[in-house]
Amino acid sequence: MFDAIIIGRGPAGLSASLYTARAKLKTLIIGKNESVLRKAGKIENYFGFSNPVSGEFLLNEGEKQAKRFGVQIIDDEVIAIEKDDFFNVITSNGRYTGKAVLLATGQPQKKIKIENLTEFEGKGVSYCSTCDGFFYNNLKVGVLGFKDFAVHEAIELETYTDNITIYTNGRELELSEKYIEEAKRFKINKKTITKLGGSEFLQRIFFDDGTSEEIDGIFVAYESASSLDFARKLGILVDGNSVVVDRNQQTNLDGLFAAGDCTGGFKQVSTAVGQGTLAGRKMIEYIRSL
Amino acid sequence: MAVKIYTTPSCPYCVMAKKYLDSKNVKYEEIDVSVDRDAAMEMVRKSRQRGVPVLDIDGNIVIGFDKDRIDSLI
Ligand SMILES: Cc1cc2nc3c(=O)[nH]c(=O)nc-3n(C[C@H](O)[C@H](O)[C@H](O)COP(=O)(O)OP(=O)(O)OC[C@H]3O[C@@H](n4cnc5c(N)ncnc54)[C@H](O)[C@@H]3O)c2cc1C
Repeated sequence: MFDAIIIGRGPAGLSASLYTARAKLKTLIIGKNESVLRKAGKIENYFGFSNPVSGEFLLNEGEKQAKRFGVQIIDDEVIAIEKDDFFNVITSNGRYTGKAVLLATGQPQKKIKIENLTEFEGKGVSYCSTCDGFFYNNLKVGVLGFKDFAVHEAIELETYTDNITIYTNGRELELSEKYIEEAKRFKINKKTITKLGGSEFLQRIFFDDGTSEEIDGIFVAYESASSLDFARKLGILVDGNSVVVDRNQQTNLDGLFAAGDCTGGFKQVSTAVGQGTLAGRKMIEYIRSL
Repeated sequence: MAVKIYTTPSCPYCVMAKKYLDSKNVKYEEIDVSVDRDAAMEMVRKSRQRGVPVLDIDGNIVIGFDKDRIDSLI
């Protein structure tokens, strides 16, 4: 059991970990090595550096600094967060329990463009199997995606139906070993999707080879899970693409904090660091109050 | 005021919507559409969509936990 689990190893997550670890709380950072900051060649506006530094440099130094205080950093992808007494964080390769969790996953990417996808939202297209799965009892459903996250959604939908297809939309599956096994029991369709069709509700899915299939529901789990995907399943308030937090970086779910680009606002290293710092401080208070 | 809320047990925003109504002292009838097929159809017919929660506040349909909309109706 960890005290603090931080999802994301950009400036927000790393900064928070400095505080929780220095307060002697057992701290785990789980993240892919994909901070947007790695793309920034020259940072000229971050305090304390009189010469430009690269994003790569800041991130590498930040990780070294966190490790010096005993933070454990794991290179892995989070596909789901569940809450019972504590938080369970499910990754491609494992499962971790923590008393408090920080979302520091950066800005959610605009994921996929398919004609009529938004038009059928709530009318066959869903972003939350936990919320809407029930309406598809014994119907034909699809999961749109190609990573572990999609397979995880398909597994959740098995409660409701056994007619499940994973639509990769032209991509090859990118699965970890565990999920390669799991994916074997689902139908996989790798064609590129051109559009969705139906009258009031979704009825058909069309492909670029001119063929189409009947379908009752599509659950979108494209690319990796983002802060918005976690929010939907946990019932966290969002405003557009941003997770809503109070002045203490606390979301509406006790023990779940968010910092950095995933909370919107002014997307800069210094703001991510500042919010991470505050979140770290408030996580310490929260964990000690348990 | 007559308030109905259509929910499923696993839906987090349903819990939030109920808590919110509780905090405003609004009495409501909860309908679990996962065990009541007819109510599920009724909800889809009223809201023309399949996501929960759906609130029916004196015949006004609110889809999802839309605080502002709820505030304007209660
Ligand atoms: C080209 C470019 C130039 C920039 N230049 C500047 C600049 O000059 N000055 C400045 O202040 N800011 C600059 N920025 C902005 C700055 O990079 C961001 O504001 C900052 O990195 C946000 O930090 P963060 O920790 O919130 O998110 P990020 O740095 O995006 O980190 C998010 C972390 O979460 C991880 N993650 C996401 N989803 C998952 C998942 N499902 N499972 C596991 N891990 C996950 C990612 O892999 C990453 O480790 C620039 C950005 C770009 C793209």
